[in-house]
Amino acid sequence: MTLHFTPVWFIAVPLLLAFLAPLWVRWRLLMPVLFSAQVALFALALSWIPAVRIAPILETIVIAPPLGIHLHLDAIALLLVALFSFAGAIITAFIWLDNGAAHLRERPAFILILLLIAGSNGMVLTGDIFNLYVFIEIVGVSAYALAAIRRDKTALEAGLKYLIVGSVAAIFILFAIVLLYLQTGQLNIAALAQAFSNMPAQMQLLIGLLMLIGLGIKAELFPFNFWVPDIYRGSDPEITALYSGVLVKAFLFVLFHLTFILLADPTVARNWLMALGAITMIVAELVALRQNDLRRMLAYSSLGQVGLITLALAFASEATTAGALFHMINHTFIKVLLFLLAALMLRQYASLKLTDVHGLSRTMPLAAGLFVLGALAVLGLPPLSGFISKLWILKGFSDVQTFWPVALILTAALIEAGYYFRWIRAFYAAPTDAASMAKMEGEKVLNYAPLLVIAGVLIVLGVAPFLLEDWLQQAAQALLGREALLNAVLGVQP
Amino acid sequence: MAHYIIDAFAMIGMSYIMGFLFYGFYRQFNARVQRRWGPSVFQNFFDNMKFLFKTETIIHGPMFFFGPMIIFAGAVTTVLFVPYLKDSNWLQGFSHSGNLILIIYLLVVGPLGNALAVGSSGNPFGVMGVTRGLTRLMGLEVPFLLGLALVMVQHETASVHAIMAAQTDFAHWNLMTNPIAFIVMILPFMASQHASPFDVVGAPVEVYAGPRVEFSGRLLGVLMTQNMMMTVAKLVLIADLFLGGATTIWALIAKTFALFLLTAAVSTSFPRLRTEQTVDFFWKIPLGLGVIGVIATVWFPWS
Amino acid sequence: MNLITKLLFLGLSFTPAATFFTWDGAVAWSLLNGITLSFDLTPLSAFFMLLLAIGAPLIAVPMLREKSDESAYALYALLLLGMQLLLLAGDFIGFFIGWEMMTWSSYLLLLRSPRTDLEGAQSYILFNLVSAFLLLAGMLFLYSITDDFRIQAVDGLLTADKLVLFVLFGLAFLIKVGALPLHLWVPRSYDQAPDLFSAFLSALMSKMGIYGLMILPLLFPDGFNEISGQIFNGPVAGYVLAWIGIITATIATFKAISQEDMKRLLAYSSIAQVGYIVTALGVGSSLAIGGALFQALVHTLVKLLLFITIAGIILQTGHRRFIDLGQLISRMPISFFGVLIGIIGLAGMPPLPGFAAKYLMYVGLIEAHWLLLLAAMILASTASFVYCYKLIYGPFLGHANSPEAKTATEAPWQYLIPQIILMGMLVALGIFPGWAIDVLIDPVLIGLNMTPIGTPAWNVLATSYGGYDGVAVMGVFATVFVLITVLFLLVRGNMHRAASPYDLSFCGEVPTADTPLHYGAGMGRELRRVPLIGWILRHTTTGFYAGLTRQTQAAAGMIGTLYGSNPQTWLLLAVLIFAVTLTIQSVTGA
Repeated sequence: MTLHFTPVWFIAVPLLLAFLAPLWVRWRLLMPVLFSAQVALFALALSWIPAVRIAPILETIVIAPPLGIHLHLDAIALLLVALFSFAGAIITAFIWLDNGAAHLRERPAFILILLLIAGSNGMVLTGDIFNLYVFIEIVGVSAYALAAIRRDKTALEAGLKYLIVGSVAAIFILFAIVLLYLQTGQLNIAALAQAFSNMPAQMQLLIGLLMLIGLGIKAELFPFNFWVPDIYRGSDPEITALYSGVLVKAFLFVLFHLTFILLADPTVARNWLMALGAITMIVAELVALRQNDLRRMLAYSSLGQVGLITLALAFASEATTAGALFHMINHTFIKVLLFLLAALMLRQYASLKLTDVHGLSRTMPLAAGLFVLGALAVLGLPPLSGFISKLWILKGFSDVQTFWPVALILTAALIEAGYYFRWIRAFYAAPTDAASMAKMEGEKVLNYAPLLVIAGVLIVLGVAPFLLEDWLQQAAQALLGREALLNAVLGVQP
Repeated sequence: MAHYIIDAFAMIGMSYIMGFLFYGFYRQFNARVQRRWGPSVFQNFFDNMKFLFKTETIIHGPMFFFGPMIIFAGAVTTVLFVPYLKDSNWLQGFSHSGNLILIIYLLVVGPLGNALAVGSSGNPFGVMGVTRGLTRLMGLEVPFLLGLALVMVQHETASVHAIMAAQTDFAHWNLMTNPIAFIVMILPFMASQHASPFDVVGAPVEVYAGPRVEFSGRLLGVLMTQNMMMTVAKLVLIADLFLGGATTIWALIAKTFALFLLTAAVSTSFPRLRTEQTVDFFWKIPLGLGVIGVIATVWFPWS
Repeated sequence: MNLITKLLFLGLSFTPAATFFTWDGAVAWSLLNGITLSFDLTPLSAFFMLLLAIGAPLIAVPMLREKSDESAYALYALLLLGMQLLLLAGDFIGFFIGWEMMTWSSYLLLLRSPRTDLEGAQSYILFNLVSAFLLLAGMLFLYSITDDFRIQAVDGLLTADKLVLFVLFGLAFLIKVGALPLHLWVPRSYDQAPDLFSAFLSALMSKMGIYGLMILPLLFPDGFNEISGQIFNGPVAGYVLAWIGIITATIATFKAISQEDMKRLLAYSSIAQVGYIVTALGVGSSLAIGGALFQALVHTLVKLLLFITIAGIILQTGHRRFIDLGQLISRMPISFFGVLIGIIGLAGMPPLPGFAAKYLMYVGLIEAHWLLLLAAMILASTASFVYCYKLIYGPFLGHANSPEAKTATEAPWQYLIPQIILMGMLVALGIFPGWAIDVLIDPVLIGLNMTPIGTPAWNVLATSYGGYDGVAVMGVFATVFVLITVLFLLVRGNMHRAASPYDLSFCGEVPTADTPLHYGAGMGRELRRVPLIGWILRHTTTGFYAGLTRQTQAAAGMIGTLYGSNPQTWLLLAVLIFAVTLTIQSVTGA
C-alpha cells in the first residue's frame, strides 16, 4: 500500500495524534511525538513545494452535500502551513528541552497544542466557509484552554477573558456565515465569491462588517484588540508565542483571503483596511512606549506588526503582498524568539518589569544577545530578514508612488525603536541589585538550541532572501489571484 | 643661499631698529600729549638690552622656557614672510613661499606660544590674561580678515606680491580703490598691535596680571624684542596691502610711520575698553561696516 | 587563548587596510529580484576607506591593553564590516545596509560603557535611526522616480523632486555629522562612550556622514544650481548648506569653550570641525571640496590623536574634568606633545596640515565671493583657539588639582604608539601638503568630475589664489627656533627654576596649597559677558527634545488608557462600532 499524501494530512495527523494521547502518555513519548509531528508536517509541506508550484492541489471529501470538506492547497496555504508547523516545532522543542513549566509537558497541553495547530492548518486550507467556522471554533476553544492551562489566578482570568471575547467574535463570524448561506445557499467559498456580487449592496455591507468585526477581534486589529495585552500577559509565554506566531497569522490570512476572494474589486475595501492597519500600527506602537512589563510590551509590539502586515496586505499589490507575507513569516519567527526568551527570563527573574531586569546581560548574556537580535529584526534593521521584508513592502509602495504608508511605517519603526532600545539598554545597564544577581544559575545551551535555530534563520533569510523569493511571489499571486482560484475550484466541481 | 641669509638678517635687523625707534617715539608722543617730558627715543633699546643681559632668570618648567622661543620664532617667521619692498630682490625673505592668509595665521603663533608658557607658569592671573587675549583675538580677527578678504576678492589673489604690484600709483592704492576695506580693517589692526584702547589684556597699570606676569630677565627681553619686530611686520603688511607697498626703504619707513602715527593718535585719545566691550565693539562697528562692504562690493554688480 | 583573541582582533582591525590595498573588481550580490547589491571601490570611497584603514588599527592597539572582551571585539568586527560595506556600496541598498549595521553595532558598543545613561543611549540610537529612515525614505523616493537604487547621477528630475531628494538625504547626513540643531546625540554619546570608542565615533564614524554628503554632488553633477535657483553668486541649496555648516561650527565652538569635561569639549569640537566640512561642501567648488577632503583627513588624524591621548590621561588619573587635573606636563610628556600637536592641528595653525585644510576652504569661500560665510568661519576658527588652549592648559599646565594628578605616570606604550605615529603623520602632512593634494585628493576630485587642484611639488600647496611652501614655513620656523634657543642658552646669564610651584607673583601675597590656583574649569567663563556668546550659551535644544519626548509619552499614556482590562468594554465597543457604522452607512445609503 502506498501512502497517499493529501492536504488533509495537515489536519488529520495532529488530530489523530491528539486522540491517541493516552498511548503516548503510557509510553512516555508525549514530547517526542509532539515535536516529531510538527517536524514531519514541516517536511511534508516542503516536499509539496514542487507539486504546488505547478498547480494548486484540491481535495474534496463529501460528507453530505452541500456539506463536505473542501481543501485547497495553493502556494500561500502551503507557505502558512509550513510556517505554522515550523513555529510549532520550535516551540515544542523549547518546551521539551526546557526544565521549567511542567504543566506544558502534560497531556492537556499536548492535546490542545495539536488541536491548535490542526485548527490553524484547517483555517488556511479549507475552501468551505462552514468548515472555516468549525476550525475557528476548534482553534478558539483550544486557545482559551491553553491560556488558562497554568491554573493560577492570572492565567484563569486571562482564559476567561479570552473565552468571552473570542466567543463574541465567533458569533459575529457565525452571523456573517449564516447570512451568506441564507442569501446564496452556498458554502463553498469559490461559489460564494461568484454569488456575492449579486447580493444587494446593503447585505454585502452587513456581511462585510460582521466579518470584519469578528475577524478583526481575532486578528487583533484596532479598535478590536483591547483584549490582547491582558491575555498575552496572563498566559505562559510559550503559549503566547503560539498565539502571536501562529494564531494571529491564520486569522489575518482568513481575513484577507475572504476579502480578496469575495470582493470582485478589492479596492472597495482597500482604504478601509489600510486605514485600519495604519491605525493599529501607530496606536499599538505608541502605547507600547509606556509599557514597563516585557510581555505587555511584546504584546503591543506584536499588535504593531500585525497593523503593518495589514497595511501592506490591504494595498493588494503583488510586491507589498509578497513583502507582507515575508514579514508575516519574519514576525512569526521573531515573536516566537522573543516570547520564548521571555519564558527563559521568567525562570530567573520574578518579574519582567523594566526596572527589575537591569543588568540581565550579566547573568544571561545569550538571552540578552538573542533579544537584541530579535529586536533588530523586528525593527527591520539589516542584515536581518526583517529588513528585507520591510524593504520589500516599502519598495512595493514606492513602485506606485504611494508615500503616506512609507512615512507611517518609518515613523512607527522609529517609535518601536524608542521602546525596544530602552529594554536593550536596561539589559546592558549596571544591575540595580548586585546581591540578587549572584545567586542566579547560568544558562544551559540546550535550552537555547531552538532559539539559535531561529536566529540562524533570521540571519540567513536576511542575507539570502532570494531563497524564499519565488515561493513568496507565488503565494502573493495565489492570495490575490481571485480569477485563477475561481477557475481552479469551479472548474473541478461539477 | 647666501642671499637668503643676508636678506633674512637684514629684515630682522631692520624690523628691530624700526621697532625700538617707533616705540621710543610712541613713548615720547604719549608723554607730550600728557604734558610730560618722557624718555629718550632710544629708551626702548636700552630697556631691551638691559633685559637681555640680566644675570638671573627664573623659569617655571621647560615649557615656560620654550614658550618665548616659540613666540620669537613665530615673530621672525612672520617678518620673513612679509615682503618689505616692492620690485626688489632685497628685503623679501621667504615671502614668495607664502601668502596673505599664511601671514595672518603666523601672526597668531606668538600668542599661542605665549599661552603655553604662561599656562606652564601656574599663575592664574597670567592665564586669565591669556584667555582675555584670545577673546580679544576672536573679536578682532573677524573684521580684520574680512577687510583683507575684501582686498583679496578685489584682486582675486591671496599673494601679497600680486596685490602690491597691482597698486601702481597713488590713485590705485587700495586705500583709494577700496577704502571701505581699509576702514573695516584698521581698528582691528590697531587692536592686534596691542594698542590702546584695546589693550586691557596686558595693560600696565590697571591689572597686576596679564600674560607677561611671570616673565623676568632675559625671557622678558626676548618677548619685548619679538613684540617690536612683530609690530613692524604688521605695519609693513598693511602698508603693502593698502598703501601700495614701498620701493625704497625710506618710503617704507614713511608709510609705516604714518600708520603707526595713526595708531598712536587713537591710542592716546581713547579710554581703555574691557575685553567683552572690545569684542562687542568689533562685532558691531567694524564687522557691520564689513557687511556693508560685502553688500556693496560683492552682492551688487555695480562696483 | 587570551593572546590569540587579541591578535585576531588586531588582525581584524587591519581589514579596511586590506580592502583598501587589495580590492580589485566589482562584486555583486543579488538580494531579491530587482535588488542587486553591487560593491566597488570608487576614488571617493577609497579616500574614506583610507581614513578607516588608518584609524581602525590605531584604535585597536590601545584596546589590546584591556582585558580581552570577545563580544566587544565581535561588535567591532560588525562595525568595521558595516562601514566597509557602506563605503564599497554602489547602490543605496548596500549603502543602507552598511549604514544600519554601523548604527546598531556602534550603539551596542556604546552601551558597554558604564557611564552610558538612558538619555545618552536613547538619543544616540533614535537620532541615528531618524537619519537612517530619512535616508531610506530618500532612496525609496529616488527609486520611485528612476526605478533604480544605484548611486549615480540622476537627470531628468523635476525641480521639486530634486528638492525633496536633497532635503531627505541632506537631513539624513546632517544628523550623522551632528549639525545643529540635530546634534543632541553627539556630545552625549562621545562623552559617555568607552574612551577609545569615542575616538572611533569622532574620527571615523562622523566621516561616514561626510561621505554621505559627498554623494550629493555625485547625484546632482550639475551642482546644486538646478535645485533651487541662484542667490548671491551661488545656488541657494549650497548656500543653505554652507550656512548650516558654519552656524554649527560657530555655536559648537562656543559650547566647546564652556565645557568642563575633556571629552565633552572634544565632542563639541568635533561638531564644529565637521561643520567646516559641511560649509565647504556647500560651496561646492573644486577648491572647497578639496578643502573639505583635506579637513576630513586632518580631523580624522587629529581626533584620533586627541581622543587616544585623553583616553590615556583618563586611564592614568581616573579624572576627566579640567578642574581635577593639571600639571601633567612633567609626568606625561609624550601625551603632552600628543595634545599639543593635536590642538595645533585642530586650531589650523601653520605649519601643521590643519592650516592647509583651512587655507583651501578660505580660498574656496573667497573664490566664491561668499565673504560673510568667510567671516563666520574665521570667527569659529579663532574662537577655537580658546578651547584648544583650555584642552592643553587644563590637564597639562597650571597646578595639579587632585591626588591622582599629582602621582600619575605616563600612559602605557599601547597608547603611546598610536600617538607617536599620528604625530608623525600630522607633521609630515604639514610639511608636504602638496603630497596629500596630489596623491589623496586630486583622484577624488577627478572621480567627481571636478578640476583637480594640482600641485607643482609635494611641499607646495598651490591654488589660483596663490599658495605656500610647507618646507619653507616649517624650515624657517624650526631654524629660527633652534637658533634662538641655542643663542639664548649660550649667552651669559643664569637660569634656574622657581623654588616651588607657589613661587608666583600673586597680587603681593604668597599662595599656599589651599589657594585655588588652577584655572582649568573657569577658563572661558568670562566669555559669557560678550552679548552674542552669552545669548548662544544660554540657549540649548535639550529642552525642545525633552519636551518632544514628554509629549509623545503623554500621548502614549492617553491612548494607553483605551487598553483597559474590562471585557465588557471591549465588547461594548465592538458592538457600538458595528451599530454606528451600519447606521451611518444606511443613512448615507452608500
